Amino acid sequence: MRVILAEDSTLLREGLVRLLVEEGHEVVAAVGDAVSLMKEVEERMPDMVVVDIRMPPTHTDDGLRAALEIRKRWPRISLLVLSQHVERNYAAQLLASNAERVGYLLKDRVAQVEEFLDALERIHAGGAAIDPEVVRQLVIRTTHGDPLARLTPRERSVLETLAQGHTNTAIAQKLHISLSSVEKNLNTIFDKLDLSHTAGYSRRILAVLRYLES
Amino acid sequence: MQGDLPNFATHHLFLGSPGQNDGGRGAAESSWPRKIPGALLGCCTALIGLVYLLIAGTAMAPFLLWPRTRPGALAALASGARRLAGLDRARRFVFFGDRFPEHYKSSDQKVLRYLAIRSYTGVLCTIVVGLLGFGVILAAVLAMQLVQGHLDLQELLTQALLGGVLLFLDVQGIYSLAALDARLARECFGPSERELLRQRIDELATSRAAVLQAVDAERRRIERDLHDGIQQRLVALAMLLGRARRSRGRNPEQVDALLHQAHQESQEVITELREATWRIYPSALDSLGLKEALSGVSERCSLPIRMEFEVDRVLPQTVETAAYFVVSECVTNAAKHSGATAVAIRLALHGAVLVVRVEDNGTGGADPAGSGLTGLRSRVSALDGLLHIDSPLGGPTTITAELPCA
Repeated sequence: MRVILAEDSTLLREGLVRLLVEEGHEVVAAVGDAVSLMKEVEERMPDMVVVDIRMPPTHTDDGLRAALEIRKRWPRISLLVLSQHVERNYAAQLLASNAERVGYLLKDRVAQVEEFLDALERIHAGGAAIDPEVVRQLVIRTTHGDPLARLTPRERSVLETLAQGHTNTAIAQKLHISLSSVEKNLNTIFDKLDLSHTAGYSRRILAVLRYLES
Repeated sequence: MQGDLPNFATHHLFLGSPGQNDGGRGAAESSWPRKIPGALLGCCTALIGLVYLLIAGTAMAPFLLWPRTRPGALAALASGARRLAGLDRARRFVFFGDRFPEHYKSSDQKVLRYLAIRSYTGVLCTIVVGLLGFGVILAAVLAMQLVQGHLDLQELLTQALLGGVLLFLDVQGIYSLAALDARLARECFGPSERELLRQRIDELATSRAAVLQAVDAERRRIERDLHDGIQQRLVALAMLLGRARRSRGRNPEQVDALLHQAHQESQEVITELREATWRIYPSALDSLGLKEALSGVSERCSLPIRMEFEVDRVLPQTVETAAYFVVSECVTNAAKHSGATAVAIRLALHGAVLVVRVEDNGTGGADPAGSGLTGLRSRVSALDGLLHIDSPLGGPTTITAELPCA
């Protein structure tokens, strides 16, 4: 696929370009700030934009604002947003409008090369990729104490796989269980984690999770 | 944050009890023979003031009662009062060696109040001095009688006892009135204790806020340091290793190249981490002391540094840390922005004040409002110190910090 990269650290940008080229993708532009990103996207119309949230000019959420702008103007372009820390607010903004062809990953995930490439493929295929950490935090917030302790190991692995944006079928394949048992597990998970009564941003992320579930 | 920091002299006011402080700020105590004419002159000026208040006050009374004309009348009354008070200010300076703040302008109210109280105490002083004179005459008469033999012993003792008690009371009165005179002058011609306290509280509030800001700025800098440098490098390193693993099956000769790169990258991460921790806090400061930590600064710096270290005793930890950061920030600035070719550093104790001076021969124009220098100023003023920045365009730049070690 044709990719545009936006990342302010030269070192990391170079590394990502090499990695993507090795994987057979075409990197049509690699930029270091949000303003040049918009210019390049407009000119080259890539299939996919990988963008770091924290970039010049202000070093706050310039990358995210650029991503939302791209989504508004060119909804066909796939987005993968990389975040320094898990910010539910950012994730929610990104997933609020449309959870297709979109990903929100911790920046450090790119170090896990396979996962990163896999997430790219999934997003490109029309799915979503959400960092497992997002779900973990969401769950921690909704149930006090260690929420995951109440899950069986099987349920936990279902949740993690789900959170990464896999469909039920893919979860079933990955974990070598039947589709019905995935569904059963998911229901138990939502019950156990008491996610049915959450509000605000979490509900949006949940909506995405439900969407992924369907 | 460019507050007018106080000089140390004003702080000393709070070390002694203010009421006991005879004379003004930093008064050079004058001798008794000078004070006597000064006190007598004070009686005269008080009488003049009394007459002025009576005459002018009576003349102005109708205008003072009428709300519309009151401000004008008060101002007119006060301008005369100011002249008379000026006489007293000069009298205190000449005869008592009082030094009042140069540019302090008392309010009209303060001047009028001063004149009113002074008139009263001055008249009182005149009476007491008069009584002393009267007592001296009585004592002389008594002595005459004693010489002529008109006095028996019992009468002499009674008179002497009575006179002694009266003399004591009178001298006590003169002494108290003199102290009161000094205090009134201090209150009128300089900031009052209350004003000084308020000033001090303002300073403390300002410096406290600045310290908090400096701490936050420092944290931000550390976060950026870690995020922009070390974290990116580590992620890149992990990516290299990940790529190497993926290449194993597909492209075996690339694996070696990637591993070699990863190894180099890991060395660089280690170096960067070491430098970042040093920027956060130089541990040598605790283990080896200020002098060693400073020589570490000069070793790290690309410019030649001449260091004079004339401190012969142990300094408080907070002072050492502040001194270290003053030097390291100034040296960094000189190397980065000034185009200097040499830096001279001097640390010396002047009494209980450590003076840190950093001079470079660069192009000057350092911005005192820049984040680095503002942070330093906060750090220094939190210790009640002063930071002077002298950096004209074209250079040279001299930055001096005075840090009290008490």
